[in-house]
Amino acid sequence: MVGLSSGEKHFIRGGIAQDLRSDGRQRLNYRPVSVEVGVIPQANGSARVRLGATDVIASIKAELGRPDPLRPDKGKVSIFVDCSPTAEPKFEGRGGEELSTELSVALQRCLLGGKSGAGAGIDLSSLMIVEAKICWDLYIDALVVSSDGNLLDALAAAIKVALSNTGLPKVTVDLGTAPDDQPEVDVSDEEFLQFDTSGVPLIVTVTKVGRHYIVDATSEEESQMSTAVSVSVNKRGHICGMTKRGGAGLDSSVILDMISVAKHVSEHLLSVLDSEIAVAEAAAMS
Amino acid sequence: MEFVNPLTGFRLDGRRPNEMRHIRGEVGVVANADGSAMFEMGNTKVIAAVYGPREVQNKSQQLNNQALVRCEYSMANFSTGDRTRRPKGDRRSTEISLVIRQSLEASILTHLMPRSQIDIFVQVLQADGGTRSACINAATIALADAGIPMRDLVTSCSAGYLCTTPLLDLNYVEDSAGGPDVTVGILAKTEKVTLLQMDAKLPMDTFENVMQLAVEGCKAVAQYISEVLLENTKQLESRRGM
Repeated sequence: MVGLSSGEKHFIRGGIAQDLRSDGRQRLNYRPVSVEVGVIPQANGSARVRLGATDVIASIKAELGRPDPLRPDKGKVSIFVDCSPTAEPKFEGRGGEELSTELSVALQRCLLGGKSGAGAGIDLSSLMIVEAKICWDLYIDALVVSSDGNLLDALAAAIKVALSNTGLPKVTVDLGTAPDDQPEVDVSDEEFLQFDTSGVPLIVTVTKVGRHYIVDATSEEESQMSTAVSVSVNKRGHICGMTKRGGAGLDSSVILDMISVAKHVSEHLLSVLDSEIAVAEAAAMS
Repeated sequence: MEFVNPLTGFRLDGRRPNEMRHIRGEVGVVANADGSAMFEMGNTKVIAAVYGPREVQNKSQQLNNQALVRCEYSMANFSTGDRTRRPKGDRRSTEISLVIRQSLEASILTHLMPRSQIDIFVQVLQADGGTRSACINAATIALADAGIPMRDLVTSCSAGYLCTTPLLDLNYVEDSAGGPDVTVGILAKTEKVTLLQMDAKLPMDTFENVMQLAVEGCKAVAQYISEVLLENTKQLESRRGM
């Protein structure tokens, strides 16, 4: 919980109004992003992303499963977020559950699309192995280790990096002769297929403080926000999902403006993240 | 199953019976906490964060002559080999929280901080046996980093007995072999035992050897932790320009 005096609040708001925030950034600048891959050896892919003092870990485990009968040509992905009490004492016990659920649902909305799975940021058909018989179930588990605002953007970035670090074992399937035979599956433990993550979107949260928008708000700045709009944008500039948080109402023209700001910022963030991924992968290989 | 090779005397992961896994400690991994640390014992990896001493949050728990020490142990969903989603506050984690709290309370000078509260949170990132020990070691470093007054460092290590050989610092495979697992926590300088747990049966004279081995392990951990803390203090000193 951020406890601020009225002087500090005034300082934060004044800095944002003059485009010089308390840590020296401009309104549309991100904090430095640091990326580490392969932090959880038992997982198929994992990543740790740090945005200033915000620190999150995402891990991806793949299991073979049966596709949903309503969507026989698609694999399944589920996202779970957990807020560790190490990040903030108020997450102790069940205290973190509400925020964890809010973040999980927001990520699901922004990365996995609607119930039909159409328009999902992650390409669900690439998880298909045999139609209506076998597919990959991806379990994305994220953990918030340290929190200093902008958790959603950090989590989405960590998931994107973890997916690019994920190797799915090559699977050979013997379908058998009878059509309703249970197919025989052989999972290779040597050959791995890389997951295509070029289409996986990032989330940019635009926070409105006073009359101005900022990105990558720290928890002190978040305590002063009126509303925040989280927009997930992929490489081609398509908007894959959106969530609005915070109590205050927004004019619809303001929302459109915030979306265009998010789209503009996401281009820069994507290129920064791509180069960080390349550096991290090279460091993990050596 | 052969846990100790009868010819070479090496264990499954290539260690000697009285050899510990590689240990690594890092101070200050959680930016917002008052004190924090990461501790690795082989593939077991935990993070500890300490908040406090601060105002007691639940006034009914306030103690007028000493500080209230609280501890919560949690495991990440991805920490074990098979992915499981476990509810918070199950019996195992409640028990481990209690054990960690009791063994650390022995060294914290709680009487110096009456009407205040110290929270210790430990988070397991990877579990490969000996999570209790790793958590206690991480929490000790985190408490020291938070500047909490302590009598001594509390360090912990486990030992077991398999294939008629006492083994130091069991990993998950050795731990689940069904042999006895003795977890010991000591106050490093005075060598007083603050934590002792054992499952399975063990003859009296063998127990003495196994426990002695675990105590030796604790001392080695204490040696390493004091090096880590000293190095950290030197860095703080140089950052101050002294």
